[in-house]
Amino acid sequence: MSDKLKNIINKQSAQQESAVTQSDNVVQLVGFVIGDEEYAVPILAIQEIIKPFDWTRVPQVPKYVLGVFNLRGAVIPLIDLRTKFGLKPKKHSEETRFIVMRHGDDVAGFVIDRLTMAIRIKKENIGPAPDTVNGDETIIDGVGKQEDKIITILKVNKLLERDF
Amino acid sequence: MDEFQEILQDFLVESFELVEKLDEDLVELESNPEDLDLLNGIFRVAHTIKGASSFLNFDILTHLTHHMEDVLNKARHGELVITPDIMDVVLESIDLMKALLETIRDTSEDAGIDVSSCVARLDKVSGGDGNVESPVSEASSTTQNVVEEEPVEETPAEEPDYENMDESEIEDEIERLLKMRQAEDKAKRDAKIAAGEKVLSAPPEPEEDEEEPEPAKEEPVKKETLAAPKPVAKPTVDASKEDEEDPKAAAPAKRAPAAVEQTIRVDVKRLDHLMNLIGELVLAKNRLMKINEEVEERYEGEEFLEELNQVVSIVSLVTTDLQIAVMKTRMLPIGKVFNKFPRMIRDLSRELNKKIELVLAGEDTELDKSIVEEIGDPLVHIIRNSCDHGIETPQDRIAKGKEEVGTIGLKAYNEGNQIVIQIDDDGKGLDAAMLKNKSLEKGIISEKEADNMSDKEAFGLIFKPGFSTAAAVTSVSGRGVGMDVVKTNIEKLNGIIDIDSEVGVGTSMKLKIPLTLAIIQALLVGVQEEYYAIPLASVLETVRISKDEIYTVEGRSVMRLRDDVLSLVHIGDIFEVERILDASDHAYVVVLGLGTSKLGLIVDTLVGQEEIVIKSLGDYLKGIDGIAGATIRGDGGVTLIVDVVALMQMARDVKSTAMIDASSEGASAHEKTKASDYTVMIVDDSKTDRMIMRKALEPLGMTLIEAGDGQEALNILKSGEHNFDAMLVDIEMPRMDGYSLASEIKKYNKYKNLPLIAVTSRTGKSDRMRGVESGMVEYITKPYSSDYLASVVQRNVNFKAEFL
Repeated sequence: MSDKLKNIINKQSAQQESAVTQSDNVVQLVGFVIGDEEYAVPILAIQEIIKPFDWTRVPQVPKYVLGVFNLRGAVIPLIDLRTKFGLKPKKHSEETRFIVMRHGDDVAGFVIDRLTMAIRIKKENIGPAPDTVNGDETIIDGVGKQEDKIITILKVNKLLERDF
Repeated sequence: MDEFQEILQDFLVESFELVEKLDEDLVELESNPEDLDLLNGIFRVAHTIKGASSFLNFDILTHLTHHMEDVLNKARHGELVITPDIMDVVLESIDLMKALLETIRDTSEDAGIDVSSCVARLDKVSGGDGNVESPVSEASSTTQNVVEEEPVEETPAEEPDYENMDESEIEDEIERLLKMRQAEDKAKRDAKIAAGEKVLSAPPEPEEDEEEPEPAKEEPVKKETLAAPKPVAKPTVDASKEDEEDPKAAAPAKRAPAAVEQTIRVDVKRLDHLMNLIGELVLAKNRLMKINEEVEERYEGEEFLEELNQVVSIVSLVTTDLQIAVMKTRMLPIGKVFNKFPRMIRDLSRELNKKIELVLAGEDTELDKSIVEEIGDPLVHIIRNSCDHGIETPQDRIAKGKEEVGTIGLKAYNEGNQIVIQIDDDGKGLDAAMLKNKSLEKGIISEKEADNMSDKEAFGLIFKPGFSTAAAVTSVSGRGVGMDVVKTNIEKLNGIIDIDSEVGVGTSMKLKIPLTLAIIQALLVGVQEEYYAIPLASVLETVRISKDEIYTVEGRSVMRLRDDVLSLVHIGDIFEVERILDASDHAYVVVLGLGTSKLGLIVDTLVGQEEIVIKSLGDYLKGIDGIAGATIRGDGGVTLIVDVVALMQMARDVKSTAMIDASSEGASAHEKTKASDYTVMIVDDSKTDRMIMRKALEPLGMTLIEAGDGQEALNILKSGEHNFDAMLVDIEMPRMDGYSLASEIKKYNKYKNLPLIAVTSRTGKSDRMRGVESGMVEYITKPYSSDYLASVVQRNVNFKAEFL
């Protein structure tokens, strides 16, 4: 009995350790598609993912700011990433989602075409942003390499920064 | 360190409260220098602050208050009579004290303010005025002070002598001092109780003010290893307290039973949080009521409905009450703001050599804390203005047969959902003509504007930035802050300013301010598919007008509202609402009033009045012109709240841009891709003439619409079915001739740029002139060649060559 217990405890601690080492080397991301590209943001920056619903247009803002919506009593801006990335606007479909991201006190909802999945990616597989994008201004945090594709990882704080 | 901060906070809160009261008391004291009660009260404040600050090691503040106390002490012992000159010095020292307190609040230090000159003057007053203080009495008075504080803490800070003593010596000293004081007190009390006077020297006043600092002071004392003498000192003090308590407790209780208020201090943050929660509740209530309506419709006649109705109405009732109750907890009497004015008036009247009396009324009127904080500055400016420009010099007043002393009345009262603060003076009043001239001189208004200005609008000129009526800049009005500060601040609070004035009689200014800022009544309006909430406090009225009543003057839409001309702006033009032409003949105009200006806002629909909770749009979207925030409606949707101040600003520029927008929009929205996208209306009563024109234009491939007379043409135009690029108009027609048609069309902003081409057999020069006057761009005389007609039309519609 006690042996069994010991075993279990050992196993658990081993698991915990591995979890720790995992979290040290592995980044958890949520992937989504805008246009033809796959992007990702850190899972911890995501407050929630919701199905699209009505929003209210706000005047005198760039086209990519669709307006504001009510998230359980909080008024939150809604940003269309398609338009922001210079793509033509598309009608919302079954797969369209709002991703609500948070960085510090800043919160905003982002319209994306489709979710892909939660991704675990090793840190060594993340390369820096291509040189063509310059310095601190870029919203690209890095490029994650996976077996068959590469994923652009976005900086949440840049996404949530007002740039108009 | 945290503990120190805590004590510091307590100290600051208390000191500011005391100081606020002080100003008022001092002014009263001047007119009533014999009032020992007042003197004692003032002395106590100086004293309390001195004690606490010395303990907290604010040496400069201690130094200052110490000398202040000397002067006051003499005054209350009758050794010094408070003359206005002495009062000036005392008031100056209090100002310094305030400045020091503020520095402490901001930096936790009292460095950076020089008090030496003031202290020197205080010394002069206390030493010079015929009462040469003997060193003995000086010593005894300081000693007395030392005892009055918690002796332990005073000792090291105050008197360097004590610093070198060891603990037992200190103990002995304390014993000695206490005994001495007790003896003194007893003697004094016997004398004073008879005079019905508050007994000062005992620290345990029953008032909150006096008691508060005690626990605060004691704590750190323990920390500072002075704990040893403490237990000894404490019981003694307590004992002495007890002895003293009885006669004293009875005395003040008899004298001022109303002064004791049952209050607790609550952190403003907690109240703000509470207010936010109530806001959520109000939203939920709105939602519940909406759902209830829907349920009522769907399950009409069902039994449970009544029960639901009851619950909903109880919830709604309680929520409303709760909201009011919480709002009330945030309310402060406006007296808090008014208090500083007696002092200000006093200073100003001395400075300006005028005699001015301030009459306060309605100090108990309560306002939301945030508003009380904002209202102070505007009032200061208005009152300064009244003193400087309003009230005349005593000589002038006597010459005019007025009383020598000018009066400024400051009163506050409730009016509906608003607070009105009224400032009256019986000075020389505002001279509308003079105001206009001054503004003309400074280029603030044009001559034309001046001519059209009513007196009331002219009074409003004093709020224009850069406007000043003072011939010479005095120290009072030359501080670089104009009355436009007043306007800005009041508008920030969604308030309205109303001025009335009569030359020679006086001026009366009313500031109307909403009770609270967080939850407001709003008028919901609709434009196309969108809704906006307009704070009801800024809405003067709503009117339904026919679109014919909208005129265009100098490129701006205006309408006649009773005797006034009201400029109009369409809400869609301000908020870039895409407008599909609406066929309705009517529009609603929401008349907005703010400060002294008015504006008509054209909307498509009026939805109704609703209680809304203001929510911020957050950092990402803050600072959008014309939007003050958002609210969540009963249906869960977000509605934007109009910022009336900004909207009025925007309305000034929007008219011209809206027209450009309209024309460019027309061009972009209706991109011409083929010849038939061009639409031209032919208006002529003769069928033959219409046919001739049609024949001339048909080869171009344009869409041609015909109308038999002006009225018909106008109806076709208004129906909005077609988007005309040009109109060919005959002049002589039944029902409505070409000239009238042209002027009718030009009344509409959206047709401002529609080219009207007269096609007529009238060839006289005066006919041509009339045509131009009524808005025709071309004048073609019959007979004409079809090529000529075609080319004129092509030119006017910007016909693209590739369609030929």
